[in-house]
Amino acid sequence: MSSSKKSSDGKSSEIEEAVASLTMPFNKILLTSSDGESFEIDEAVARKFQIIAHMIEDDCAGKAIPIDNVTGDILSKIIEYAKKHVVEPDEDEDEEAKKKLDSWDAKFVEKLDLETIFKIILAANYLNFEGLLGFASQTVADYIKDKTPEEVREIFNIENDFTPEEEEAIRKENAWTFNG
Amino acid sequence: MPSTPLANGVSPPLCGVERTEVTASSTVADDKPGVSMMEQLVPEITTHALSYLDYPSLCRLSMTNSLMRKAANDDNAWKALYHKDFTMEQDGITPVNGWKAYYATTRAIISVNTEFFSIIRDRALQVMARLWLNSDYVKCIHASGELFSGYNEVMQSWQLCFNWEQGFDFQVHTVRTRILTDMAWVTMKAYLNVDGGPFLITNVFEFHNGRWHMVHHHSSVMLIDDQQVVVH
Repeated sequence: MSSSKKSSDGKSSEIEEAVASLTMPFNKILLTSSDGESFEIDEAVARKFQIIAHMIEDDCAGKAIPIDNVTGDILSKIIEYAKKHVVEPDEDEDEEAKKKLDSWDAKFVEKLDLETIFKIILAANYLNFEGLLGFASQTVADYIKDKTPEEVREIFNIENDFTPEEEEAIRKENAWTFNG
Repeated sequence: MPSTPLANGVSPPLCGVERTEVTASSTVADDKPGVSMMEQLVPEITTHALSYLDYPSLCRLSMTNSLMRKAANDDNAWKALYHKDFTMEQDGITPVNGWKAYYATTRAIISVNTEFFSIIRDRALQVMARLWLNSDYVKCIHASGELFSGYNEVMQSWQLCFNWEQGFDFQVHTVRTRILTDMAWVTMKAYLNVDGGPFLITNVFEFHNGRWHMVHHHSSVMLIDDQQVVVH
């Protein structure tokens, strides 16, 4: 079983893949990060990543898939989230489960610094993992909510490069939002 | 593989999930020293990430620096916010001054329209007198079915209306606005009590001397069993 992606390592990783394909259980997928870390996950979890789901549909994925754009630390976080969200509880049908999951999500993101969250956004976008992309984006949005521009600059390390004239123009441009 | 950031102004269409192309060199922190993560992130996923912000946050973000200003003033982002906060209507139009300005003006009109109902609830005749444009072409058609024409007549009609024992506390829903440069019209459904059907109301405003003024109010007549109910 061959996969159609190029590898930087040449022959050795092709062999690794072939071995993985032959030895892995039927419903498992092996993901390898850009820095060589490997994660074996259920196919159901892998399907949360649309980019992989398509590969599975088109039958062009081997059982081992390299994720070139994502480092191991980020990939592991993403997989952790995906595992928890394989089945999304219906808010109407199972309120209890939804609450528990929301609580887990909150704790999950609480431990992450902003830089990690940004990396997760980029990776979730690459993998086309809609659920996490939305959640991470919402988290960043919550950081900004109710903060002054100065506070936002501090949080994201943004440097103010406006001239005094521009500052004045911008104040006018946005005055309407400060009128309650 | 060098990444190709989206040129500003060319944003991917915003819908639930629009996947944008992210290429290999999106690893942050090593690309440009002194450029924050936010700014490296922004060209890649602009519209999608911004869609999670409410309007004050989007404005404040635009005030942080010039790159953020461009991103946060993105026309598509404000159009999406307009659709989210107000209505999906007017999807095909392009406002003269862009969607951010249109959103801002929409907020202003809705605020004035809400104030109109506060005035009615509080029976604040003086405030009503300031809200209306002092002109001979203004008109008011109350739920009683009576038409009053010209500022003085209109004000007298409100005075009569407010002479009743209690103010009317309307619950207003389905507010839709349409705004042109100096004029705006608003339609809405106003409910007075739980089992009554709504009054269908149209208000028209004009912009004069830095303020929006009411120039026209038209309420539908309340019908019960096909009989006209006189409210005022």
